[in-house]
Amino acid sequence: MGIQSVLPPPPRYPITQTTTSPNGQTNAQTVLEMSNVLTHPSGPEYQLSVGEGTYILQDNLHLATPPPHPQDAPIVNPNPLATTPTPPKAGIKLTICITSPRKLSPQLYRVNTSSSTRSNLGTYSIKESEKESRSSDETNSNVATSQLPSSSTPGRTPVFGEDNILLTPVAGKEGVKRKKPKTNLVKSNSQFISRVIPHDSLNKRLQEHNSGGIFVFANIDRAYQWLDLSSSTPARAQPLMKILFAKAHMLCHDINSLTKGPNHIDVIMGASTGDIVWFEAYSQKYVRVNKNNIISSSAVSQIRWLPGSENLFLASHMDGSLMVYDKERDDAAFTPESNSAPTPSPKPFDPDLKPLHINKSVNSKNQKANPVASWKISNHRITDFGFSPDSRHLAVVSEDGSLRIINYLKEQLTDLYPSYYGAFNCVCWSPDGKYVLTGGQDDLVSIWSLAERRIVARCPGHHSWVTAVAFDPWRCDNRNYRFGSVGEDRRLLLWDFNVGMLRRPKAASIRKGASVSSNVPVGRSRTESHATSRLRSTSSLDDDGIDADELIEHAIESRTVTAELPPVMSKVIDEHPLSWVGFEEECIITACVEGHVRVWKRPQDGLSP
Amino acid sequence: MDPDAVILPPNHPSLTSTKLMKQQPVQNSARNPGGPPATPKPEDKEHPDFKKRVAQARGPTLSMGYDNAAAYGMPESLFTSLKDIFEALLAHKSNVGVVSPTKFLEVLRRENEMFRSAMHQDAHEFLNLLLNEVVANVEVHSKKLEEEKGMNGHAEKTGFEKALASAMPKATPSTTGLVHELFEGTLTSETKCLTCENVSQRDEAFLDLSVDLDEHSSVTACLRKFSEEEMLCERNKFHCDRCGGLQEAEKRMKIKRLPKILALHLKRFKYTEDLQRLQKLFHRVVYPYHLRLFNTTDDAEDPDRLYELYAVVVHIGGGPYHGHYISIVKTEERGWLLFDDEMVEPVDKSYVQNFFGDRPGLACAYVLFYQETTLEAVKKEQDAESLATAAKAVAEVPKEPIGLGLKTNGFMNGIQHVKSAVTPSSDEDMNGYASLDKAVTEPPTPVKPAISPSEVTALPQLPSTTPNEDIKSKKERLKEEKERKAVAKITARQEERAERERLKNLEVKRKGALKQADSDTKAAIEASRVSKAEEDQRVAVDNGNKDGASAPVPIAPISTGGLSRFRSSSKSFRKPKLFGGSRESSKDEPFAEENGTEATTPTDRSKHRFSSLRKKTSNMKL
Repeated sequence: MGIQSVLPPPPRYPITQTTTSPNGQTNAQTVLEMSNVLTHPSGPEYQLSVGEGTYILQDNLHLATPPPHPQDAPIVNPNPLATTPTPPKAGIKLTICITSPRKLSPQLYRVNTSSSTRSNLGTYSIKESEKESRSSDETNSNVATSQLPSSSTPGRTPVFGEDNILLTPVAGKEGVKRKKPKTNLVKSNSQFISRVIPHDSLNKRLQEHNSGGIFVFANIDRAYQWLDLSSSTPARAQPLMKILFAKAHMLCHDINSLTKGPNHIDVIMGASTGDIVWFEAYSQKYVRVNKNNIISSSAVSQIRWLPGSENLFLASHMDGSLMVYDKERDDAAFTPESNSAPTPSPKPFDPDLKPLHINKSVNSKNQKANPVASWKISNHRITDFGFSPDSRHLAVVSEDGSLRIINYLKEQLTDLYPSYYGAFNCVCWSPDGKYVLTGGQDDLVSIWSLAERRIVARCPGHHSWVTAVAFDPWRCDNRNYRFGSVGEDRRLLLWDFNVGMLRRPKAASIRKGASVSSNVPVGRSRTESHATSRLRSTSSLDDDGIDADELIEHAIESRTVTAELPPVMSKVIDEHPLSWVGFEEECIITACVEGHVRVWKRPQDGLSP
Repeated sequence: MDPDAVILPPNHPSLTSTKLMKQQPVQNSARNPGGPPATPKPEDKEHPDFKKRVAQARGPTLSMGYDNAAAYGMPESLFTSLKDIFEALLAHKSNVGVVSPTKFLEVLRRENEMFRSAMHQDAHEFLNLLLNEVVANVEVHSKKLEEEKGMNGHAEKTGFEKALASAMPKATPSTTGLVHELFEGTLTSETKCLTCENVSQRDEAFLDLSVDLDEHSSVTACLRKFSEEEMLCERNKFHCDRCGGLQEAEKRMKIKRLPKILALHLKRFKYTEDLQRLQKLFHRVVYPYHLRLFNTTDDAEDPDRLYELYAVVVHIGGGPYHGHYISIVKTEERGWLLFDDEMVEPVDKSYVQNFFGDRPGLACAYVLFYQETTLEAVKKEQDAESLATAAKAVAEVPKEPIGLGLKTNGFMNGIQHVKSAVTPSSDEDMNGYASLDKAVTEPPTPVKPAISPSEVTALPQLPSTTPNEDIKSKKERLKEEKERKAVAKITARQEERAERERLKNLEVKRKGALKQADSDTKAAIEASRVSKAEEDQRVAVDNGNKDGASAPVPIAPISTGGLSRFRSSSKSFRKPKLFGGSRESSKDEPFAEENGTEATTPTDRSKHRFSSLRKKTSNMKL
């Protein structure tokens, strides 16, 4: 490349055809493989030692990165300064599907599962929360509502959009016959889908599938794979079905846990191009939503079915909007409806605070076409969101470094929490709905208490940005919580915290003035006055644990007063930055950006040291 | 529409070949499909060289012939020439224009042998050199003033002298000089002698932090690691006052006083003992837009101070011996600007995070500048950004480079940390934020053989970017065109009118400028030939049969001339200058040795004092 003592100036853009750097570890082109590879490496570096025993790597499944689409040849621009925007990308994300209803499902948020403590569950958790709230009233520092969402649930959770008659599903069909999408995937000649490769013996494998076995849906580059992790070893590596899209890269996906069954799985996917696909796995049929970007041209960063809904799902677009779509409804060009649209909240929408810009309310009279509802929270990219287990709240995190708690039934933003610094990348709820976890570019996992409306602890331990967080519902009970996090540092960290431990010992005396920011317009002080007013207007508490009248913008708490939690386990478990983590009854599953899906078997009783 | 403008340092060595390349005509139609239908130009508007000429013609070209050293009552130095530049910028009412820092370069070359040659120098070392020089220049002057005062007894101070005096380090206990005020922080190092268990504490000033890099880490993690406990042993033993002698010790460093501007040097160039040479590390190191420090002492004031990223120096190249530097700076009025030699262009905010080190193209962030800010300022800015993105969505305008935002908050331009970048909202200003899909800095199409073969060897063939553009889907192109047309309609009319007027004037000026540019180029080539010859000679003398230092991967002993990265394992910091207390005579001048004759293995002179800031670099983990 260079010559000894070249004439000045240097090569402006040192370009070599090989992009491999001298030490050979970076810039290496992704090796394109046509089929998945399953290996079973063993040794101490493939084990995770925690208090309860040793997790052992059971499967290392390398998903094949598909070659680029012929019409979409790889754009290799050797100029590192090229300002051509690159399409948004996401690492491998997995959606786990176990078709048979389980005894101990994470969806049952109040159930606690650690086998040792299962006996004294039930009412105990409610008692505990009451005790907690009383103590906080005494100190007068915990102003937040004393009632937890879970403990105040009167039994029936209202359904999103139930007040709008136009959204009532047509009666009679429910539960009897699941609706399927229209277009056959295999026979489709759509430009959108490049190829569909079902497994040779797809039907046989599906028949052999144990209803308790784990199906995994995974996106990698422009491919989307349906895998069966419970099938026998040689076949396990190969997907039941692989869909190759032409241009779109799927960034996020979800299955409908309400409609899933032994012959039916509703998958919803969001793409880098803004497209959304509803796909029914067994019938191999699909329908496109937001086709040709008629509703939004912005990439979909996260997508989830609305809890308890057969048809509705929520997608976050990268322009900062949240949209509820109906899989059955047709699309139509969308223009924001006026703000004066009636809202169900007792108080009118306050335009000055602009907590949540409602572009279309769920109660809109115009429900002929998608979207069913549309909310804009900011112009910054939404990175992740999650529904609370009680199906009332939504936790949304975005690149502007804020966690928003939205009562989506009322379409109200109730809380806004700032990150310590930098963007948030991921969010999740505890199985009981009391806590929210976030991970972000401050290398921290943060624990937020919904009941106390404050940060509970910051968890340092990652060496780079945190990309995914998840609770382990099989190791959570009413006092103790286990969660895991993965990051760009290639590490999996496991954490244990319990309610008692989370009280900040140092904080009691210095709680006032503990916020970093001297001049937060609506902060903790406001919260306190807010509490008194709330006591009077108990009517607004009605069926909702969190008083949702007013947005509370929380201040940042100083590092010196916030509790810190160390991890119980930290280990580099992959060669590439990790992008996903999930907990199942028998295993932990992780995924990295380069397509490695790893299954870590839980410690066996009696076998663990 | 804003006039195009660039910084143009005539005679700057790096100008020579970029100019040559850029002068080659480029068929640009493919890069600019459906370009602005405004007045058709005989020349390609996207061409950097064209832009340069237009900028020069349009001006305003700032008068740089200040030469104010005498007025300052100081001998000409880096400080005075730097001050000249900033005074010129501040004095001028326009915020775009042409600035040629010739004087500055002249002084720099005159005072530093190393910058006279063709060798590539290290950006971080240059930063330190500059900061230290400025401090030294001011210090010398203040001493002189004091002496005069002592002699005259009643030296009357001019306004400037007063200002200067207040900017002197140690002039008053409260102010420690501009450079110190901006960049200086305090580290507390706790050293525990493992022999006598005695713990000694010492405060040290720093102007920047050099952090070691790990694979797949973040800046936050690097800073945490910086404050981890470190063993001082073997060649790096600690001199214990109690036991008297070199002992093994444990040491950890925390930040006691946080600087206003945190300059973070990512140690991407590491000396590898096995290979006997420096290597560039391409570790993926992520950096957030905002930062707080975890490694503060318990008694630190404002330990949660929020920092925002406002400038990045990027090194492009495969090794430590050569390459190209660019910088991306956040400005108050223009948002993020990319400074690539004489070209300045606006870039998207997300562009700033393209240099983690794992992307093809060998471009890695090398020095990061974070400045103090507040959460309120950040929120305000985010709101402004939101507006800007909304406006941008409406008005996508074909790209024109904007000029140098003269009133940038570049690192020497004072403490503007709390001010947020107010993004422009008017249509005119939006030009600067036009869609980023047509980068000016994309390499032009292949160089045509109009230059002599010897020069061609220096210029790698730049692959064409046209295929890239061709791949664009029809849909995309249609969309782009649509947007462009819509905007063009609005702007075309007013543009046309102004353009015609301007073109008339321009044409006249341009001819002059062209001639000027050509002669500049010739002069530069000539100069570079001379310097090359000199360089060759010196290398031959210094190293005999060894590879030149600018060869890509020379297996050469540490004595290779010219590059001081080599010399002290990047312990380039002239530390003593920074300590009010332990200031030593100016004998300690690493840069005076750059002639190469004396350069041997890293000398011992800096070992103990410097090792505080630089953890041992020779223990490479590979």
